[in-house]
Amino acid sequence: MFRKKNLMGLLALLLVMTVLAGCAPEVVTETVRETVEVTVKETVVVKEEVVVTPEEEAMPEADTILIGAVGPLSAPGSFQAGTEMRNATEMAVDEINDAGGILGKQVELIFGDTEGLPERGTAVVERLITQNNVVGLTGEYHSGVGLTEIEVAHKYGVPFVQAETWADEITSSGYPEIFRIAPSIDFYSSIATNYIAEVGWEKIVFVVENSDYGHLQSESWVAQLEALGITDVEVFFADADTEDFTPILQRIMQDPPDMLAGVITGIGNSRMLRQACDLGLAPTAETAYYASVDSQYPEFWENVGDCGQYVFFTYVGLPESLWNEKTGGFIAAYEERYKQAPGGSAMAAYDGTYLLLNAIEDAGSTDSQAIIDALETIKYTGVMGDFWFEYTADNPVPASEPAWMWHQWPTPNTYIIQYTEVDQSAGDAPVVYPTERANGDLYTSP
Amino acid sequence: MDYLLALAATGVIMGIIYALMAMGLTLIFSILNVINFAHGEFYMLGGYFSYFLLTLFTGLNPFVAVFLSGLLVSVIGLIFEFFFLRPMHLGRIERPPEYAVLITFGLSFFLQNLALAVFGPYPHRPTSFFSGAVDLGVVRVSTDRLTASVLSLILLGLLLLLINKTWIGKALQAVSQNKDAAAVVGINPLRMNTIAFSLGVGLAAIAGALLAPSFSIMPDVGAVPSIRSYVIIVLGGMGSIPGSILGGVLIGLVESLGAGYFPDPSRGLTYKTSFGLIIFALVLLFRPRGFFGRKER
Repeated sequence: MFRKKNLMGLLALLLVMTVLAGCAPEVVTETVRETVEVTVKETVVVKEEVVVTPEEEAMPEADTILIGAVGPLSAPGSFQAGTEMRNATEMAVDEINDAGGILGKQVELIFGDTEGLPERGTAVVERLITQNNVVGLTGEYHSGVGLTEIEVAHKYGVPFVQAETWADEITSSGYPEIFRIAPSIDFYSSIATNYIAEVGWEKIVFVVENSDYGHLQSESWVAQLEALGITDVEVFFADADTEDFTPILQRIMQDPPDMLAGVITGIGNSRMLRQACDLGLAPTAETAYYASVDSQYPEFWENVGDCGQYVFFTYVGLPESLWNEKTGGFIAAYEERYKQAPGGSAMAAYDGTYLLLNAIEDAGSTDSQAIIDALETIKYTGVMGDFWFEYTADNPVPASEPAWMWHQWPTPNTYIIQYTEVDQSAGDAPVVYPTERANGDLYTSP
Repeated sequence: MDYLLALAATGVIMGIIYALMAMGLTLIFSILNVINFAHGEFYMLGGYFSYFLLTLFTGLNPFVAVFLSGLLVSVIGLIFEFFFLRPMHLGRIERPPEYAVLITFGLSFFLQNLALAVFGPYPHRPTSFFSGAVDLGVVRVSTDRLTASVLSLILLGLLLLLINKTWIGKALQAVSQNKDAAAVVGINPLRMNTIAFSLGVGLAAIAGALLAPSFSIMPDVGAVPSIRSYVIIVLGGMGSIPGSILGGVLIGLVESLGAGYFPDPSRGLTYKTSFGLIIFALVLLFRPRGFFGRKER
């Protein structure tokens, strides 16, 4: 009796799921995909079928412009950053739609969760392009994921504005479809290494995340510091979800450095800082503490308490002292909508979305090549400043410039910020480097 | 020498907390014969409940919040056991072992995604038990972590007393040894299943609430501790309570010393979890029953 009941229950569940799936918009595209796959595999005779597929018919008749965005919304990805990016992207699309859309059409957004996994990023971008037929892509946070995604976008010739990926190879690939508004690792690292040299620290220890980002970042730091004459540099790797950093911190305590860096994204950032602080290792008068970019989030203080005072970090975004009109408006609107202050990732995702949509408007069509051409010549003032791409098809990267300058926004906002007081927001914290834009002392010691 | 002692002290302190977490898992396995794949998520819930209790009721003693978190999660465990695991023990499920794996895995995914939707993706940290750090001579330890360790030790002692000296404890032991024989002498195995599951997940929640001030909480915070707990219970011997305690301390020590003394210092921390797994593999190779495992009859 019970088995029959179970069977009936399962059937009912399957029925409900089928009905629900039937209501989902993706089913139409699923059918399209199957048809396309068959036509690709079949011979010329079947070509006619391609012409009459729903996909081919639906595209010219679409009354919306479909764009894709990607980012980590679940573990092991940095889903704090991903959530911010999704929020900001949705906000940008809603604003554009409220203002009448682009090319006389409403914009539809599909945000794909890449989970911080390269293989997942590949699958998500492949689906967005081949099944959902997006005309352009934006977003992404993890470099390792971005590196695989650009291959897919390049394969299909779809423009992709990468918002928060830092690996040099993202743009040094030279792919015509790929644009970036985040700093490259090389540029980002140079801000911290020049700052270290300026302050005069000589013994440096990095504890970095065991990921593509962490490895690329540490290689860049070590090379740049060496070029600056700082050779006493040690690097330790740790997984981002490490709970207890104490064993390695105790090892570092045997010979304390001038500066300890905890470059772990997500929860590891606050865990390592608290543990270094509890051990009395850093931040102290003898050892300064450089934290990860995740220190900008409001939860930082709840998780580290007083240990956060005197910590400094590289901030990618626009500190309050450098806001323009759009920045203030965006931050107020974001706070009202999501009841939380946006971080640098939100700003980047917001500007990335506007750049892509403005390029579609400028192109006057959703043709990929037309959008790419429009992006190459775009001039746009966003919440993070004035955007343009210096090196393009018409102005190739000269030998004197690094290859990553291809389709790269030349002036990404990258600053060193130091928390000089407990519970200080990233917006209120003084910018301490680069010196020409600083509004605080170079370094405030405990 | 100081460095060695510091690493050893850190390892023992962490090991005791690991043991508390694993204790819940071993209790559930020994009575229900089910590996609870959602154990890490009950640990996570304990941390969140403690955080929200302390946020909502300002002035609430953090120790009371830890106890209440354990209680709340125990009630959730009780309901889950009654509706989803009991049918298995009543013979209403065709393939109980597969069902148990799938249902607890399903619960794990459900709870993790529910936490993401309800509590959000940002890390939270409840109020400290005591602020600052304590100097133990060879090592400075945060008072939060030391408190968690001492309380874990007390709870482990109380649990051993409960198991060995009370009627319920003896009934649980009887059910773990032979369900039919236990039923013959008037013990209701189904009720013992519910008690064991509820108590087991409650212990995981208390471990989560105790460690939340030290490690903060996020929806996926239970993943690493749960994997470690599986290693500990196999090391100690599936279903053995003293084995879980020994296994926990051993894993704590191996992780700490391994990370501290690994020849390539840059990789020491990355391989920390794998040091425990090497010991795990060796024990399985030379003593498959674990330290205190019972022989199959």
